[in-house]
Amino acid sequence: MRSQLITHADWLVIITAIALLPWLYATFWGSDGGAGDEVHIMVDGKELPAISLKQDQTLTIQGTIGPSILKIADGGVRFISSPCQGQQCVHSGWHYHSGEFTACLPNRIALQVTGGTARYDTFNY
Amino acid sequence: MTTLTTTTEDHRIALLAALAITIHIAESALPSPLPGIKPGLANIVTIAALCIYGLRTAAWVLMLRVLAGSLLLGTFLSPTFALSFTGALASLLILGLARLVPGQSFGPVGYSVLAAMAHMAGQFTAAYWLFIPHPALLHLFPILMTAAVVFGVVSGIIVAAMLKHIQ
Repeated sequence: MRSQLITHADWLVIITAIALLPWLYATFWGSDGGAGDEVHIMVDGKELPAISLKQDQTLTIQGTIGPSILKIADGGVRFISSPCQGQQCVHSGWHYHSGEFTACLPNRIALQVTGGTARYDTFNY
Repeated sequence: MTTLTTTTEDHRIALLAALAITIHIAESALPSPLPGIKPGLANIVTIAALCIYGLRTAAWVLMLRVLAGSLLLGTFLSPTFALSFTGALASLLILGLARLVPGQSFGPVGYSVLAAMAHMAGQFTAAYWLFIPHPALLHLFPILMTAAVVFGVVSGIIVAAMLKHIQ
């Protein structure tokens, strides 16, 4: 046994461990930042067919308390307006990345950007 | 009739395991901010056993703690147990490897951090593969590992201070 509280090898372990952490955050929090290619919208627990982010459009989704307007442009999606009080969904802004999620809870509308893998729900010609 | 003979080592292991189980159970009463995060103070006993008596004793103490702890908490063979067990095996593996490093240069803090991280990584892998193979779970991993490093350092320092006191 040694009298030192923390040995040199211990410091090496601690420093390596601490250096590893930012890498973990970058890998697990940043990697799914790949551009999404479609948006899944849930209305009152029911999922609508996936909508491509490649085609710019404005959608009006009927929620439980009124219509929410979504805008799809430049491969992203956002709430333009919603009949809710807090407007968090509108303030959450644009969502471009696969895995991003936002919701208007009062109006029971949730959306999630997905993509990366080839999953076709519809074909449009 | 044969009598069961016990060695000094058996007694020592039983004593240390009992200590570890007590800490383990006391800790299970603490609320946790996130599933998977807990201080892991029972780790202190394992690391102290490793530093004083070696890997064999530490392995016995750790595995007995996981087994008996789960029996007492009623989680034996439950998902919690599977995670605990995998974590324990992973930390034993890394401690075994760390013992192979020539010069025996690691102190309690190094062992503790290695064991905590291996435990968390093993447990997380088991959780991901066996129970919740959802990519969203991966977002938890950096947070859990941060907690593992912090608690690993803290319990390592406790062991170091304790050993200094014993010497």
